Amino acid sequence: MVMNSITNLVATKTATNERAIIRVVIATGISSVVTQLLLIREFLAQFQGNEFVIALILFNWLILGGMGTLLARLVTRRGKTPSVAKLAWLSFLLIAISPLMILAIRILRDIFFIHGTSVGFYPTFAYSFFTIMPFGLLLGFLLPYSLFVLRVDNKDYPGTFVYMADNLGDVAGGAIFSFTLVHLVSPMQAVFFANLLLLFFAWRLFPSEKRFRPAVLAGTMMSLLALIAGIFLEKPSLVPMKGKLVHYRESRYGRITVVQDQEQYTLFNDGSPTFSTQNVSMAEQAIHYPLAQIENPKNILLISAVGGMLAELAKHQPESIDYLELDPEMTTVEFHYGLLKNIPNLNVIHQDGRAWLNQTLKTYDAIIVNLPEPETFQINRFYTDRFFALAKDRLKPDGIFSFSMEGYDNYLGEPQRRKLSVLYTTVKEYFNHVLLLPGETIYFLCSAKPLSVDIPQKLIEKGISTYYISGFYYGNVTTERITQLNDLMDTSSPKNSDLNPNLMRIMFSQWFAKFSTSPITFVSALVLLLAIYMTRITREEFVLFSTGAMTMGCEILVIFAFQIFFGYIYLQIGLIVTVFLAGLLPGAWLGDKWSSRGRQILLSTDILLIAMLGIFLLMVYLVGDGLPVIFFLLFGFIVSLACGCQFPVALFLRGGDNPAATRVFSADLIGAACGTLLTSVVLIPYLGIIWATICLIGLKTISLLLVGTANETM
Amino acid sequence: MKPCNRRHFLSASAAILACSATPAHALWPFAEQKGETSGPADIKGTIFKGDAPEEIWKWSKEGFLYSKLENNSVACGICPNRCVLAPGDRSVCRSKVNHNGTLYSLAYGNPCAVHIDPIEKKPLFHFKPQSKVFSIATTGCNFRCLNCQNWEISQMKPHEVRHEELFPAEVVSEAVKYECRSIAYTYSEAITYFEYMIDTARLAHEKGIHNCWISNGYINKKPLLELCKVLSAANVNLKSYSDAIYRKLNGGRLQPILNTFMTMHDHGIHFEMTNLVVPGYVDDPDMVKRMCTWILENLGPDYPLHFLRFFPKYKLDRLPPTPLSTLIRFREIAMQEGIRYVYIGNVPGHEGNNTYCHNCKELLIERHGFYMPTFNMDGDKCKFCQTVIPGVWI
Repeated sequence: MVMNSITNLVATKTATNERAIIRVVIATGISSVVTQLLLIREFLAQFQGNEFVIALILFNWLILGGMGTLLARLVTRRGKTPSVAKLAWLSFLLIAISPLMILAIRILRDIFFIHGTSVGFYPTFAYSFFTIMPFGLLLGFLLPYSLFVLRVDNKDYPGTFVYMADNLGDVAGGAIFSFTLVHLVSPMQAVFFANLLLLFFAWRLFPSEKRFRPAVLAGTMMSLLALIAGIFLEKPSLVPMKGKLVHYRESRYGRITVVQDQEQYTLFNDGSPTFSTQNVSMAEQAIHYPLAQIENPKNILLISAVGGMLAELAKHQPESIDYLELDPEMTTVEFHYGLLKNIPNLNVIHQDGRAWLNQTLKTYDAIIVNLPEPETFQINRFYTDRFFALAKDRLKPDGIFSFSMEGYDNYLGEPQRRKLSVLYTTVKEYFNHVLLLPGETIYFLCSAKPLSVDIPQKLIEKGISTYYISGFYYGNVTTERITQLNDLMDTSSPKNSDLNPNLMRIMFSQWFAKFSTSPITFVSALVLLLAIYMTRITREEFVLFSTGAMTMGCEILVIFAFQIFFGYIYLQIGLIVTVFLAGLLPGAWLGDKWSSRGRQILLSTDILLIAMLGIFLLMVYLVGDGLPVIFFLLFGFIVSLACGCQFPVALFLRGGDNPAATRVFSADLIGAACGTLLTSVVLIPYLGIIWATICLIGLKTISLLLVGTANETM
Repeated sequence: MKPCNRRHFLSASAAILACSATPAHALWPFAEQKGETSGPADIKGTIFKGDAPEEIWKWSKEGFLYSKLENNSVACGICPNRCVLAPGDRSVCRSKVNHNGTLYSLAYGNPCAVHIDPIEKKPLFHFKPQSKVFSIATTGCNFRCLNCQNWEISQMKPHEVRHEELFPAEVVSEAVKYECRSIAYTYSEAITYFEYMIDTARLAHEKGIHNCWISNGYINKKPLLELCKVLSAANVNLKSYSDAIYRKLNGGRLQPILNTFMTMHDHGIHFEMTNLVVPGYVDDPDMVKRMCTWILENLGPDYPLHFLRFFPKYKLDRLPPTPLSTLIRFREIAMQEGIRYVYIGNVPGHEGNNTYCHNCKELLIERHGFYMPTFNMDGDKCKFCQTVIPGVWI
């Protein structure tokens, strides 16, 4: 009887402990996803916002997670007993590191790099790797460590449950951030809220009699203080070196700050000066170069803007101006600080430019695109054949379409020449006349009717006065320079399309050329390390590696395709990211249920993943624009379901012990890291969306063959 | 003494590392930072070891000034970088190589940028107003300016760009053909193609064509003296009056540039100075005062000084443009200090583009971009008070 009571007591205590640990795992998942999303935003605000950098940050995050997971093996190897208390202390440490990491990214930048400079590939890689390292390693360590702690009292505790709990936390974290925190609070406040739950559950890990001991209370308070300190240091950490920070807001699309230096206001979008008062020449060129070509421009469409351009536009007295800006926060700030003037007949629309052109029935005399260089998949959509066709379709027969690219002073560099040539051949298919005007910014003027190069004369005829164009045009934009630039266009260049974003890879080349570096060293080192890793993993681990790579690859492909067809719609993209996590949980549950069927399940899920990619390929190729949103959501869910299903099966096949769990966890993370980098910066830019999908099918087919040819014991 | 176990050793090491890795100024990171304290202190370029081509090409010429050292090494004498190159090495400026113990310039007769510009674009406001200037450049620069406007050529090697073939005699004949009264060695850094420049300048000088040198001024005295023999005008950047900022933003030093100004002054060359006002670095009024004091003491009040507005460019692309009031203030400071002709550049339509007589203060030249709606000069004199205006006007 006594024995029974003791057994029951132990069992009850064990169950209580298990629940407490699982709660910590879920809370860690929430904290980690919120931190990851904040981290990407922080790096975009501090470094170049191109696709390469985004992929690099994600790669470092995942690879460090994988390394941290492998580190957990040392615990098992050295025979040290994991404990609940250690887990709690490590969780406190993770909480404290979280705000410190974000502050460190902001502060150390100006210590390691010259203030005001952009940073090249290798320094960005090294900086992100080392600043993420403490958090990334610890986070990766904690997941298997939680399992080890659970297995101290319950030797057979299934690793899948920890995986599922982590996934549950991830889904919750993703959803909380995308649908709530990003709209309501600043990054440090988001870190605070995302970690409160973890702090509470980590504190609760201590037995009730120890929770109020000075050491435990001190640990809890220290973590809480770090979170609170983060909130108080938020604004001071953003103070500019020069001038006064008069506006700071984290919009859902990025960081917007306005700095006042004497009478001048400059709007920084993710750290780059985007708008400035007093920049007359840019505003004049952007407006008058295209509008000088039309007799009487009545209806104008602006896709984004540059400072001062509305005042210039008003000189043409148009009847209606539709000004499209994706981010409402941007327009609020632009008008508030006088970066743009509110002029008559102005209609501000907060929508994706491409989505607007798809839906509107209006036709315009001029469509003027003022977007940044196509450094991301999101921006690339505005420089593709489909977009140019769409723009032409919404133009009146004699209308003009214009956009611009970064220019040069006296020599057109080779990557830039290739970039301009790609754009030239792409847009030339839709417009009989394409004229490039050189300068610090190169303007593309496109129309069905002949274009004049004598802009100042045209403006004189229209009675429009200017400062820059009337004074400097004939000296800076000489006929000789115009001819030279237009003659340098290579008409045999490939076109830039939605599905084959050729421009992106040239943008990467240009970025590397600017910093006189090449990615070859990085790629060689990565391939070498990967080759060594491949020789050391089992077939089951390879399945998870390839699935991790494929899932991340699919997520990138789906977001890329979705933006092409529907435009950048924040909430729906947030939903896609969420479903890519949401399927993992039921998948893991199913996998755990069916794990005894081992190889058969791995085979089936691999076939399912290949089939899903095949369907995606066909649908994108055949249906394209006609695909409903639900297709993307369903696709994401099923892929993540299959991925989630494979994890417990692989773990089961590897024996499920602690060393196996760490290897399986890390294979998934390392695969995800490689998939992110491979898809973003190699497959899509170099091969296009169709071949990128085929490559992912190829990767999964190798995994399928490995599983298929394994002996039955697998 | 207690034995040190592994844990003690690791803890102590971590503590020492943490302390040594924390720069003193980072202890309170939100203290107002100066640009001078962030990042590396010097971005000076380095020699490209073993980067010289196997064979020298058609557009090569033996170096104008260098010394032969032991082991077939050579020391270039053109600029203060004084690159010592072992066989097969390439200089900091990327244009010079050591080929079997002889220094060669690979930038001779192969300009990658050839344009005809208004002289005011250089900017040269007191030299042959409204004339056309035949402008050439090859690749290369002895600096590493983070805000370089011409990085596509200045930070490239000669074989990495498209180029034309224009040997010195052809440059002169092209200038004549296009009715240009001057030839400008410009865009990248002409010091790095000194051999090409000096040969062309000598020929041009013989034909009565002016030579304009647009440069960072980072040159040794001996080649500069040679250049001064055939030079008509120069615009030299005085990027800042701080050696620390020169090292940080440009990868050069201040003193050699000051020496260049003094040499040109001693030889009666007309030159103008440009100062790009980079926010956070070159916008300190005290520094401007010190700079003006040095100019007045060593060069006098007559050389025009241009304060240019900075715009984000190249690698220095995360700073705001210079506020207009900073430029206006600097112009006022410089004029109060005694410099007679101070201009504001990169600000269309501002009165700081105009020339006013230093004696009677009347408007001499109104500039609207490259145009001059008002021109009140009588030869080289003010039309109102007949004061001689410094410069080369006729």
